Amino acid sequence: MAWRFLLAILLGGVCYLDRTAACQLMLHRPLVVATLMGAVFGNMAAGAQVGVVLELIYLARLPVGASIPPDDTGAAVFGGSAAAIASSSIGLDAGSFTALLLLSVIAAEAGKAADRFVRRINVRIARITTESVDRGDVQAVEHGLLAGLTLFAVTGMILALVFSGAGVAVAKELLPRFGPESRGNFAILLPALPLLGAASVFSCSRTERTAAVFFLTMAAVFGATVLFRWSA
Amino acid sequence: MTAPAVATRSRSAVWLRQFLLQGCWNYEGMQNVGFAYAILPALREFYANRPEDALKAVKRHLEFFNTQPAMGAVILGASVRLEERVAAGEADPRAIGTFKVGLMGSLGAIGDSFFWGALRPMASVAGALLALVHPLLGIASMLLLYNGVHLTLRRRGFAAGMEGPEGVVDWLKRAALGVRTDDRKLLAAILAGAYAGVFAGRFFVQGGGVLHAVTSLLLAAAAVHLFATLFRKAVSPSEILSFLLFVGVLILWR
Repeated sequence: MAWRFLLAILLGGVCYLDRTAACQLMLHRPLVVATLMGAVFGNMAAGAQVGVVLELIYLARLPVGASIPPDDTGAAVFGGSAAAIASSSIGLDAGSFTALLLLSVIAAEAGKAADRFVRRINVRIARITTESVDRGDVQAVEHGLLAGLTLFAVTGMILALVFSGAGVAVAKELLPRFGPESRGNFAILLPALPLLGAASVFSCSRTERTAAVFFLTMAAVFGATVLFRWSA
Repeated sequence: MTAPAVATRSRSAVWLRQFLLQGCWNYEGMQNVGFAYAILPALREFYANRPEDALKAVKRHLEFFNTQPAMGAVILGASVRLEERVAAGEADPRAIGTFKVGLMGSLGAIGDSFFWGALRPMASVAGALLALVHPLLGIASMLLLYNGVHLTLRRRGFAAGMEGPEGVVDWLKRAALGVRTDDRKLLAAILAGAYAGVFAGRFFVQGGGVLHAVTSLLLAAAAVHLFATLFRKAVSPSEILSFLLFVGVLILWR
């Protein structure tokens, strides 16, 4: 298990760097991160199952100006690792799936708080950089940026360790405490979660034209799904 | 308009360093350290034998700066060109600050709307739908859809900026980001509708007739409408998830 955590820390560090500090190539998106974590902890498909739903839920919160959206990368680290451990040979049961998606909100908010903390520390780094440049040290700019990057990377690695550890602990210790019936009851909430994701995209891509198009497409695809099921 | 005199090596270094624009993002100067870091190779070249001027130039770029990171490439390219003119004595150094401040807000708003409000949701929902076929197909398509446009705009924006502030204006007209934003939002809405339809069909239709199916669809549409209304009223997804978690705990407790 130790090497799995080591891999989770390294991959998590890279994904967290991509989130804010470097590149923004979307390697930090929940679909990528949850699938990776699922693969690291032994079940890529279960991780992807969580990633598909988490991918859209937080899109309504845009990283505009100084506002920091919830940490969906952290939610995906937690959800992906937990899903891989909690899944059996027939996959992830609906109750556990729902519980992991809902519990991932704790990781999302904790990660957001950590992000705020890093940016506050970076204020000090930026001040030191400016003071050093004022004293004639131009290279301080490079040192300042390296310090900021290192802080983002180290925090990302710590968060990846904490969230994957929490995911494994929840899957091994918490979920088995609930019987099949309890988990079945919990699964009543599952249909709301993908719809929350769809609403998130709908809300951030809303223009005069899009509302009608969204609901017409939804009805058409729903109808096709129903017909396919009835004919099967 | 003359070609920029900056050496290819410095130009490449600035281009690569733009990807670290947010490397030291902070609440005071925001992307200031990242911007100064990115433009440093060009400043070192322009002020090679004038350390005091180089120092003044670096200080200029440690002023507050914040824009959408991908759109930062345009401002960075144009700032390199302006610094070249300042170093040659053809322009006033204060023009650089005025130019950056004037452009960062408007380009930030255009970039936020295009990248975060249109391109990313479109790529995400396309990836999520294709991941239902195979996870790796979903991931690959999401990364390609987003980065194909993202990296192209960064490259073209930087090149336009390197032609000077005039090049920026021409490029912004040619890029037509407003139209592109609307198109991608429409595509995102279509794909999100398909995503909602697929999951509503999966979860709600467990048997029953036409009436049951229609009721399920209406319930799903009402749920989407309710969530979207809550988002418009600045309710966070985390708050909705926390509420659902609370409801789940109540269900277990009973």
